[in-house]
Amino acid sequence: MQSLMILESSSVLQFVENAVKAAATVEVIDRSPLTLRDAILREVGNVTRILFAPPQELPIALFSEFLNDARVVADPTPDEMVHSAAGVTEAFAGVASTGSVCIDVSYQRTGMVSLLAPLQIAVVAAETIVPKPRDLFRADMLGGKGLWRDFVFVTGPSATADMGPLVRGVHGPHKLHIIVVR
Amino acid sequence: MAAPLNSAEIQPRQVANKSNKKALLDAIRMTLDVQSAAVRHNTQTFNRNRYAATALIGDYDELKDRARLIKENALANLPELLQRLEASVQANGGHFYLAKTAADANQYIRDVLVRHQVKRVVKGKSITSEEIKLNHAIEAAGIAVAETDLAEFILQVADEQPSHIIAPALHYSRERITALFKRKFTTDLPLDTGEELTRFAREKLREQFIAADAGISGANLIAADSGSLMLVESEGNIRMTMTLPPLHIAIAGIEKVVPSRTDFGPFLELLPASGTGQPLTSYVSILHPPLQAPPFVAPGGTGKPREFHLVLIDNGRSRMREDPVLHEALYCIRCSACLNSCANFETVGGHAFGGETYSGGIGGPWEAGTGTLMNARFSELCTACSRCVPQCPVRIDIPWLNENLRQRMNREEPPSAAKAAFGAMTGSAEQDRVAPLQKQFFGNYHSLGKWGTRFAALANASMRLPGARGLMESAFGVDRRRKLPLFPKKTWEQLYHEERGVKPGAIDPGVVMLADVFTNYGAPERGMAAIQVLRAVGLDVALSPVMADGRAAMSQGMMETAQRQARALAPVLKRYLDEGRKIVVLEPSVLAMLRFDFKHLLDDPGTQALLAQNSFEPLEVLWGVAQEMQLNLGQIFSASKCPQGTRLFYHSHCQQKTCNSATQTVEVLRAAGFDVATSSVECCGMAGSFGYKREYYELSMAVGEDLFAQVRRAEAESGPRTLVASGISCHEQLSAGLGREVFHPAELLASTL
Repeated sequence: MQSLMILESSSVLQFVENAVKAAATVEVIDRSPLTLRDAILREVGNVTRILFAPPQELPIALFSEFLNDARVVADPTPDEMVHSAAGVTEAFAGVASTGSVCIDVSYQRTGMVSLLAPLQIAVVAAETIVPKPRDLFRADMLGGKGLWRDFVFVTGPSATADMGPLVRGVHGPHKLHIIVVR
Repeated sequence: MAAPLNSAEIQPRQVANKSNKKALLDAIRMTLDVQSAAVRHNTQTFNRNRYAATALIGDYDELKDRARLIKENALANLPELLQRLEASVQANGGHFYLAKTAADANQYIRDVLVRHQVKRVVKGKSITSEEIKLNHAIEAAGIAVAETDLAEFILQVADEQPSHIIAPALHYSRERITALFKRKFTTDLPLDTGEELTRFAREKLREQFIAADAGISGANLIAADSGSLMLVESEGNIRMTMTLPPLHIAIAGIEKVVPSRTDFGPFLELLPASGTGQPLTSYVSILHPPLQAPPFVAPGGTGKPREFHLVLIDNGRSRMREDPVLHEALYCIRCSACLNSCANFETVGGHAFGGETYSGGIGGPWEAGTGTLMNARFSELCTACSRCVPQCPVRIDIPWLNENLRQRMNREEPPSAAKAAFGAMTGSAEQDRVAPLQKQFFGNYHSLGKWGTRFAALANASMRLPGARGLMESAFGVDRRRKLPLFPKKTWEQLYHEERGVKPGAIDPGVVMLADVFTNYGAPERGMAAIQVLRAVGLDVALSPVMADGRAAMSQGMMETAQRQARALAPVLKRYLDEGRKIVVLEPSVLAMLRFDFKHLLDDPGTQALLAQNSFEPLEVLWGVAQEMQLNLGQIFSASKCPQGTRLFYHSHCQQKTCNSATQTVEVLRAAGFDVATSSVECCGMAGSFGYKREYYELSMAVGEDLFAQVRRAEAESGPRTLVASGISCHEQLSAGLGREVFHPAELLASTL
């Protein structure tokens, strides 16, 4: 693992460090359908249903092996939407200084899949990690995608301190797992 | 029948409106009794985290400048921005409504809900909706409203007003939430940990989200160019509120509008860091509704198209925009940094230091702007300690706003012959002579000092007469439990001019010490010690004439008096600057006048800038000289010769910290060989005259308890220490709380010579 980390660019390393500080878990993998499938399935364990929202930016072919798993639901009923243990979406960008992933919430069910299940898995391409949150609003970053999309910066799982101590897992996901593909 | 919450049996709602003074005093009693521990813990955690998070923003100061500029321009061009925003929202397919008043906004929202035959509304946290009392309006139409932010959920269950701008139930400890829920709900679920309470609330609210036909959210910022909203949260309830139901209504004050989505950048990083002290909160949404994605369809339900309404609320804001003082408050981005860095707020929270909606230092101007002036009476709890000023991401001078509110409230008081006569005798400007006697008493400290020292023996003896303290309390509101400082037989000025045979310092032209009224009449020996210490490193030291600087008057809202004093003092000091001398100010609250407050009081910006740049705290100057000339301070001031020993506990003054003039004192003391432990509280709680006032004595001592506890802890760990403080009121507070003598750093250094 250590030798692997040395190969990462500094922005990916910073991203990983800050995402972990924000209580997410992160892994960096090679860009291959089999590796991605294995990474996702390892994380979800033996849940009965996995919600999936198709990507806009990453090629759908990257998810082809994962989609062969019988538990994947790409067109959920309302009941399945609120009673699934895990949701998988792409993130169209990452932010190094905060360890955030940026999820489009206007594209089909991406927003809901990333919000309603207790385990959220976000797949982000290493080259879309920008230095700071403000960079999402620059025309010269990511082709200016942040300038027109409806999206959410997701930084760790949902959390509250309203009930006294810090509690992770409130209305949104209880756990955030990020898979960075290189 | 709700159980009594405290020994005073006061319910928060009863004291939400502070337009009568008794409500404020009852609220202080109630909060000290039952809320203080939770408020302290939560605000101080936010405060610590904020210092850490803002330190991680590489260009924090520059980012604050950018944010300020964006807000200034946005407010200046507001009418035009609102037009542009309306066009953008309509182009997106949404509806735009500009409500003049709270009633207007409520009517519009109720009509939209009724038209859609809405039965259940889920709501994200929105302090603006608290301001207009939206829930009452919706419920009156027979529509159920579920607050989904867990803090708002607690408040809805308890029927209480918010106590904090971003964490509205932060006055509740976990134990009190458990007790509340057990009283209000019947459930088999355990409710004894944060996790259990959260699970209970989540399950209750999940049902609401699934069944809701409308969601109402606020907005942290709105971009006119695209109709985009920025919403900051951590629980995920706002995302659900905005994206699950087909109907989304967002409400916000008109001051939330900025020109462009690209303007979100600086705020995106400043807001979470300044608020909860996180680089980002769990979710920051950037949307221009209505969303393209389909809404959630409940099991068995039918799909409806999305609809979006943006309701912007004026409710006094246009008037604030025209107001020379209150317009500053419109820059506020509601981060709460000013609340969390305020010692008084940390001790009582927003149920005492707040009104029906807004709380803390920025809360007064907001309650005054959206309600009535007297709603802002709680702004008396702003002592102008200034700790909030460097924390504000849009650089609002919050103490200045509150001092001006105080002036306006003073002027609402009925005039009386006694007040006018007392004011004329003690030096109040004519317009300030309607101020209450207590305010004129403290605001004219320079006159009291002058007479007190002139007739020191008589003045000191008369205070020992039976009934004297009672008289002071009933006439001027000076708490009888406070020990009044004795007037010295000789002032600083007299001692200085009695010196003989002083050779000019080698460093010429050297410095001039401002003979501030507090040191001159209250602690001349400290002034002499400072002179001695500065001379010891070779500085030539002159002493200015004794002149009031405006601080005491300003703190009582006697702005005309303050302005007159500042304008008389400035040219005198300017002459010393012309000679090439730097200005040295012993009392940090006076230093802060020259550095910051004179910009409001002088009509000559050039002189103001010169005074601000060339005024220093004594040990700040000394440290600078020592660095420049590579002096060995351990040789000049050898700590081992200090009769008070070498082990110190040092508390720096609030305004000294804001002037960035505190760390140098510690450097000097350490270089001289002292072992220095330091306090980490924002303010000692005395804050000039505040702690002397009868009605605030308990609060002042409760604030001081944090400092006293730090001293006790340090001494438990490493043995007794000599108490050292830089501010004259910090001396009084430490000495009252710990019953021991307190020294100025200069006195200790001088004792080694």
